[in-house]
Amino acid sequence: MSKSEQSSPEFKEIHIHNPKNKIKESKGYKVFTFFNTLIMIFIAFVTLYPFLYLVSQSFTSEQAIYAGHTGLIPEGFNIKTYIYVVTRNDYEFLKYYLNTIIYTLIGTVLSLFFSCMLAYPLSKTKLKINKILSPFVIFTMYFGGGLIANYVLMLKLELKNSMWGFILPMLISTYYVILMRSFFMSIPKDLEEAGEIDGLNKFGVFWHIARPLSTPIIATMTLFYAVMYWNNWFNAKLYLQDKAKWPVAYFLQTIIRGAGASDPDAQQMSANIKSCAMVLTVLPIICVYPAIQKYYVQGMMLGGVKE
Amino acid sequence: MRDKEKNLDQEMTEETVSELEQWSPAKITRRKRFVKDVRVNWQLYLMVVVPVAYYILFRYVPMFGNILAFRKYQSGGSIFGTGAPSFKYFGQFITSKPFWQAFSNTLILNGLYLIVRFPLTLIFALLLNEIRNLHWKKFVQTVSYLPHFISMVIVCGMIKELLSTSGPINALIASWGGEKIPFISLAQWFRSIFVVSGVWQSLGWGTILYLAAMTGINPSLYEAATVDGASHFQKVMHVTIPCILPTIATLLILDIGGLVGSGGAFEKVFLLGNPMTAETSEIVSTYVFHMGVESGSYNLATAIGLFEGLINLILLTCANLVSRKVAKTSLW
Amino acid sequence: MKTTTLKKASCIGLAVSMLSGFVACNKTTEEESSSEATTIPDQIETTVDPDANLPYTYGLGKTFHADEPVTYTMFFSDASWYPMVDTWKTEGVFEQIRQRTNVTLNIISYDSGDYMENITLDINAGNAAYIIPKIYDDSAFVDGGAIVPISDYVDKMPYYTEFYNTYNLADDIKTITRANGKYYKLPGMKEKNLINYSFVIRKDIWDAAGVDVEELQKTWDWAQFLDALKTVKAYMVKQGMCSEGDYIWSDLWCGNESGQGSGGNLLGIMASTYDCNAGWNIGNGMRYDQASDKFIFSPTTDNYKQFLTTANSFIAAGILDPETFTQDDATATAKYYSGKTAIMSINQGQYANYEENMTAQLGAGNFENYVITIPVGSTNNSTVAPERLENGVMISQKALDELGEDGFIQMLRFVDWLFYSHEAYDLTKWGVEGVHYDVVDGKKVLKDGFCCGGLGYGNNAEGTLTDIRLQWGYAGGNFWYGGTVDEMSDNLIPPVADYVARDAEYRDTPPLAPGVAPTEDQNEEINLIAAPLITNVNSWTLKFVTGQSDINAQWDEYVKSCEDLNCQGLVDIYAKLYTGK
Repeated sequence: MSKSEQSSPEFKEIHIHNPKNKIKESKGYKVFTFFNTLIMIFIAFVTLYPFLYLVSQSFTSEQAIYAGHTGLIPEGFNIKTYIYVVTRNDYEFLKYYLNTIIYTLIGTVLSLFFSCMLAYPLSKTKLKINKILSPFVIFTMYFGGGLIANYVLMLKLELKNSMWGFILPMLISTYYVILMRSFFMSIPKDLEEAGEIDGLNKFGVFWHIARPLSTPIIATMTLFYAVMYWNNWFNAKLYLQDKAKWPVAYFLQTIIRGAGASDPDAQQMSANIKSCAMVLTVLPIICVYPAIQKYYVQGMMLGGVKE
Repeated sequence: MRDKEKNLDQEMTEETVSELEQWSPAKITRRKRFVKDVRVNWQLYLMVVVPVAYYILFRYVPMFGNILAFRKYQSGGSIFGTGAPSFKYFGQFITSKPFWQAFSNTLILNGLYLIVRFPLTLIFALLLNEIRNLHWKKFVQTVSYLPHFISMVIVCGMIKELLSTSGPINALIASWGGEKIPFISLAQWFRSIFVVSGVWQSLGWGTILYLAAMTGINPSLYEAATVDGASHFQKVMHVTIPCILPTIATLLILDIGGLVGSGGAFEKVFLLGNPMTAETSEIVSTYVFHMGVESGSYNLATAIGLFEGLINLILLTCANLVSRKVAKTSLW
Repeated sequence: MKTTTLKKASCIGLAVSMLSGFVACNKTTEEESSSEATTIPDQIETTVDPDANLPYTYGLGKTFHADEPVTYTMFFSDASWYPMVDTWKTEGVFEQIRQRTNVTLNIISYDSGDYMENITLDINAGNAAYIIPKIYDDSAFVDGGAIVPISDYVDKMPYYTEFYNTYNLADDIKTITRANGKYYKLPGMKEKNLINYSFVIRKDIWDAAGVDVEELQKTWDWAQFLDALKTVKAYMVKQGMCSEGDYIWSDLWCGNESGQGSGGNLLGIMASTYDCNAGWNIGNGMRYDQASDKFIFSPTTDNYKQFLTTANSFIAAGILDPETFTQDDATATAKYYSGKTAIMSINQGQYANYEENMTAQLGAGNFENYVITIPVGSTNNSTVAPERLENGVMISQKALDELGEDGFIQMLRFVDWLFYSHEAYDLTKWGVEGVHYDVVDGKKVLKDGFCCGGLGYGNNAEGTLTDIRLQWGYAGGNFWYGGTVDEMSDNLIPPVADYVARDAEYRDTPPLAPGVAPTEDQNEEINLIAAPLITNVNSWTLKFVTGQSDINAQWDEYVKSCEDLNCQGLVDIYAKLYTGK
């Protein structure tokens, strides 16, 4: 199934996803579209409802929650918990937020860069070293050193209590590298060869040809890595002892746990602390997401233009 | 195929090749070829230098910790353990019936989850790709990701509320004249609850990679198919799926290679399972937890970790072999 | 540069001399311990230093004070509901300690939820602080050599020794003594155990239903208690407060979150009235039986069967919600706060919290909370733990290595003052006398303008009072240990003090079990048998209690399943350990 064989540039303007293209819409397809829309509505409802419910709960008064309030409209509008979380100890929350933003930005950029550096050469099956390199990389997915060994390593490298202690342990995710690699593999060879004929060196081919063609996977990985850094609290727990360096995810984690009343002298936090924490964590991701999403569309068009 | 494997072995030993062996003519040409490869592709080799250094330092150096699967560890004592190495800690769980119960539960739970989730995710991705209204498509996509971001604690709390005897599901059953079912405390329901809630959580997020792969498909392929008079369904079957097959295969191989691992499942099983459902809900990681990681069976945890890794690696290798034959895609 | 090399050299020299000194000292203690390995003295004799020329003052009734300023590192469990802030160090508790003793504590804090795991990692990695407080179980650290066997040094500690001798804690200490006859943590010690966990009821509803709790509770057993609950439910149904199918008892601390999959607080309490282990107290199932003077596997005894029958009767009667054992804590509290249930678990620290939430929910005056005395099972014993010990402090070997023996003993005397002197107790719990609190008629009262959640003094409605815990770190969980009954109860609010007193009056103190000290290998064997065995016990227990399994019909099957998992092996190890004494 080689792609170059099948492509016929003359018919470029006909595109099944082109809304203007109305030809050949069979009756069966209309029925399909109808059911597809129904399924999508169902999925959107099933996934959106609990989420909206939690958002609503985060604004609902405690009394209403204890009385068993269930609904999408908050009862007795209440932002006490938000105010508590955000303002306590001189707005420490904002400091943690800033930390998270810094870690996520730096971490994501570095992760993407080094993952590409590894995944691209890995995708060249003809490269001799890959016979060693692939098993070398994949092996680490299954065998780690355990908590103690990793901790000792970080202490010895004097990375504990620094931003790098948070970022470096998850800098390159083997899982993501493999996914990137399989995308790079699907880039048509002839395009790259054409680049080399045009006088680009291997790195130039990667930068000027493979990278632009890989916008969809790079956008995806940006999202994956960013979400990974954004949500990670485990590395913070292990390697960031100094509170001033905590990311917001760890801060919220400690607050939520403190809300459990099993500790003899723990004081229960507001009943909606969990949903508040969720909204505060997810909000930025939801805001940033559409910006990343547009690259999926762009990637598609690029593919078309390049041919 | 077998030749390739052989090659690989030899390549690996090449680093430590002794003077004598270099006389072998086959070796010389292979070495020459390698040197030539480096000369031609030196930029590619340069690219991997930093990542390889990273893997050695942050992934391979800590592996010395695995020595604790063989040597006794005392908290605060040497991190290399003390005493003579032995297979005692492997014996401790391999001869234990509850371990094998947990092991098969892990396999069943992950297997069921994979069988249900994998095709559903793929179908959902294909259906999403058929939506023509871009705004609607973006909306459904974004909304379907949301469950991925709700923390496990909240998800499990909601599941329990939903399925409690005073919850909506039981209210529905009661209104149809059925008997109320305490889902959460019945062992026979645990797997279904685990799988269904898992699909709900991951369905949207799982499509991201497929959609990325689909946007990478060259549109001219569809055009050609249209010219050939292919129906819509045929285009999906003969263009879309073959083009994203490498992605499908890669994901499937990776998932199969994680069947025994319980990384992601631990938190959920821990929060959702309870002693009454133990016969179906106890998995290897909760077993390790119950054996008391903190109270000194660090050796046992390390040994089980090694064992899990080994099984997963075997599964991965098999999946990879099959995939290389069937889908012409492989990880190495 | 020069000075640093010099310093380094002298440090190494010091370390070498210290090490040799330590080896020598180790030898002598080893010789001693081999001759009298398992003897914990009834009374410790304090050793007086012949050399009185010490660089610090210390002693009973005196405040420890170092002539030269010193700094010690200390781990600190930082609770997210009263997080440590800078003012604790600049003007609060740590500064007050420094002013009195000339000792600066270099605090290495971890969030309380991760405290144990993080300090374990630090100790493992050789990165331990000198002083390691808030340790519940020290068994993991015993053989690694990172922790000092503190029993070798307690004779140097006047405050510790005095409390130990005055209240005869030798038998209690034996329960934490290890196989080599030593113990590794300085435990918080108590004159007497005060009850903590019990049940709170809606007394207004109970009174209206015609149940005279105050009289009944003196001697009631679980069956009478159940009858009382049935009366209350009948009343509630009649009043339309709930329907016949609803449960009026849906408890917290029993689900997965905090119940640890064992049935948590409720089953723990109920079982201990039947002289057996369950719930939070299941441990490895082994319990000392006074009558036969043996250690027995508690979950297969007749007592246990009785306990199961009792627990099941509450579910069967439609009083106790079976989902108690699976639901989240927040679900349970919501039901009680909103008046859907009429009884729930409580501990000393939660009373004020419940009141506050219910006032917001139901309105002041519309409810009355009352903590009951726990019903009687097969014994009249109180449910308090028999050992009069609290969590404790470990001292790392690093302190001995780095400070040298003299410096180490100096530090121990500071630790002694900080954790066992009445002066430090009052300071760390109440703040500075005359500034934060006054003593009125022998009772401590916070001064105007201050409050403290940790002491049960809530803030006013406007929130204008300064919380001495949030602001300065007083009344925090790292310092606040046992002490005398007067000390422990100096902050109890009246309703709490009332139930504590009632429990002491109506119930007997449970007898102390003899200490058994397994070796490390035995400990490993015990864990290997116990872990799957206890999972099995918990599984059956909850099925029996909730009625999924039939106690009478399936009891033998259950006992068989325990035998298959080698519960006899545990009994044998314990028998060897106990009679070996």
